[in-house]
Amino acid sequence: MPAPVDRRLVVVTGKGGTGKSTISAAVALAAARRGKKVLVCEVVAKERVADLFGRPPSGTEIRQLLPNLYSVHVRPREAMREYALMILKYETLYRLAFENAAARYFLTAAPSLAEIVMLGKVFWHAARETERGRLRWDMVVLDAPATGHGLTFLSVPEVFLRLVSEGPLARDMRLMQALLADPERCSICIVTLPEEMPANEAIELDRALRQRQFPAGPLFLNAAFESRFSPQEVASVTRGGPLLTAAGEAADNHESRAALCRHYEGVLRDTVPRRLVKVPFLFERNFGAQAIDKVSHAIEGAL
Amino acid sequence: MKPLEGRKIVCCVGSGGVGKTTTAAALALSAAMEGKRALVLTIDPARRLANSLGLKALGNAETLIDPSHLAEAKLTVRGEMWAMMLNLKRSWDELVRRNARTAEQAQAILDNKLYQTLSTAMAGSLEYIAMEKVLELYSSGRFDVVVLDTPPTSNALDFLHAPDRVLDVLDNNAMRIVLGPMLKAGRFGLRLLAAPSGLVLRTLARFTGSDFLRDLAAFMMAFEGMYEGFKERAANVKALLSSPQTGFVLVTSPNPLTTQEALFFHRALERDGIRTAAVVVNRVQRDPRRHGGPDNLAALREALQLAQIKDENRLAERLCETLTEQAILADLDRREVERLRDTLRGVPLFTVPRLRKDVHDLAGLWQIGEYLGGE
Repeated sequence: MPAPVDRRLVVVTGKGGTGKSTISAAVALAAARRGKKVLVCEVVAKERVADLFGRPPSGTEIRQLLPNLYSVHVRPREAMREYALMILKYETLYRLAFENAAARYFLTAAPSLAEIVMLGKVFWHAARETERGRLRWDMVVLDAPATGHGLTFLSVPEVFLRLVSEGPLARDMRLMQALLADPERCSICIVTLPEEMPANEAIELDRALRQRQFPAGPLFLNAAFESRFSPQEVASVTRGGPLLTAAGEAADNHESRAALCRHYEGVLRDTVPRRLVKVPFLFERNFGAQAIDKVSHAIEGAL
Repeated sequence: MKPLEGRKIVCCVGSGGVGKTTTAAALALSAAMEGKRALVLTIDPARRLANSLGLKALGNAETLIDPSHLAEAKLTVRGEMWAMMLNLKRSWDELVRRNARTAEQAQAILDNKLYQTLSTAMAGSLEYIAMEKVLELYSSGRFDVVVLDTPPTSNALDFLHAPDRVLDVLDNNAMRIVLGPMLKAGRFGLRLLAAPSGLVLRTLARFTGSDFLRDLAAFMMAFEGMYEGFKERAANVKALLSSPQTGFVLVTSPNPLTTQEALFFHRALERDGIRTAAVVVNRVQRDPRRHGGPDNLAALREALQLAQIKDENRLAERLCETLTEQAILADLDRREVERLRDTLRGVPLFTVPRLRKDVHDLAGLWQIGEYLGGE
């Protein structure tokens, strides 16, 4: 099976606030450094990756962030329009059918139509070829929505095909489903934190993803603390008198976070049959390009 | 919490992972300690917290926290502490059963192919059902205060406008007109439902196939006659949420992304004419420098020597590094708390320090309650 870095689509999922965008950016950067041409697709309401590299937002146009590294924000309304136009060919027909109250209703009511067209757009990028018939992108990184929603997002083809079996959308959803299920071409990663809720969600997400037979990528344990002091050291510094109160508290804080981290790392290793990659907590006053660079080096081995 | 005195409904809002459930449970516990019959309505609590609240996985039933559990945690509750976990599917089914005109109508809806997808996956569905539940619990008169732990919506507008969005799906005039021929054919029972007609319908059908449109028409037909009731209750919910009986508590962590989200929520509330009652910032890193003492390498070495602790394996260096790191975290957190304070001038702000362990029991909730001015 090819290494994640050699797959065409890398999906980054996990609970909200665990650092999915950071990991997406870092995966993309690590791949770009190895000479891959990479596109990051963001599908959540607010675009973040370009900002992490200190660049203005890309919006719905593909923009270059660094050599070999590009990003794009996939939004439902624009994706719907582009998609509809691809099929309908005529702007007038599109307006007639889609820019009216009934269609707006239809967009709300149809099962996850917004997700369908966004996923369709990501798929279109992943499958896009240049004039010479080569793939336009070596790798597409999908910064997916948070867990519950993320799973819904990835299950969209399946759910959709249950309800609808004809038409161009159904055809594309079948192709997307095949790509998402193919371990040769796709890898689905999970990001989590050493805390109860994110860890539990990662465990559930892993189970749900494996049940649906999505190709299992690494589990990134983000913001990890490594132990730095022995219990004896913490005890002696804490009892070391008023001059060492601050240092004792800091050491104790550090060790309690390291202990939590150790605990959840153990739980995750026992329950999630994926490669676990620890990403160290970064003490940055400004979390930007430099931080992403550090993260990308920390995860390089796993790619 | 002072700003919440006299409120019957408390909505804890904010992005996911900021400790909303914990805050909601802590506020309910504080109210119960003060002698109120308090209920916390949670959406997706952490397992251990759910366990300590005595909640079972499937939920959807009000559960009184056993006073003996509270006694074990050395808590004397003068009122009652209740908890409930909202089950989306079950709540929708109950709602349909309660409001259908006949049992047949209820069954027709529950059996509809689209109903399940719509009730569980439709945008705003969870928010809507949570509000319906709050209204129901409030109207029952069994509780003095209901604390709602809102779904981890990424968007404030999803929450505030959920009733509108859901009502729009249940009955939409424009769609009725488009689907008119299908609906009519169905009503007269000639053919169950006619083939899609009209240009708009035909175009939409090119995307999804005509089966889906038939299902949609069947769904709208099944709901016929129930819409008015839904509309009325949605209006009641809206009126209740913007009345002084309800207090909105913004919950956030000192992370720039979540404080941005909290401020966004605050502005969305303001636009709807709702004032934020209080802000809670969870997990604020305490600054170790508040104790004073040496914070550079040379001074730390000296302090270790004075305390007769051997500086083995670069202990002083490790301490110095740790102090610096935590000072950075404390500075970053302080910056965010100040930003919130400046922007939300006049809104009472409470900070809860980062505790040494995750909070997942009643004693921990009480500890948090104290930071929220529970006493």
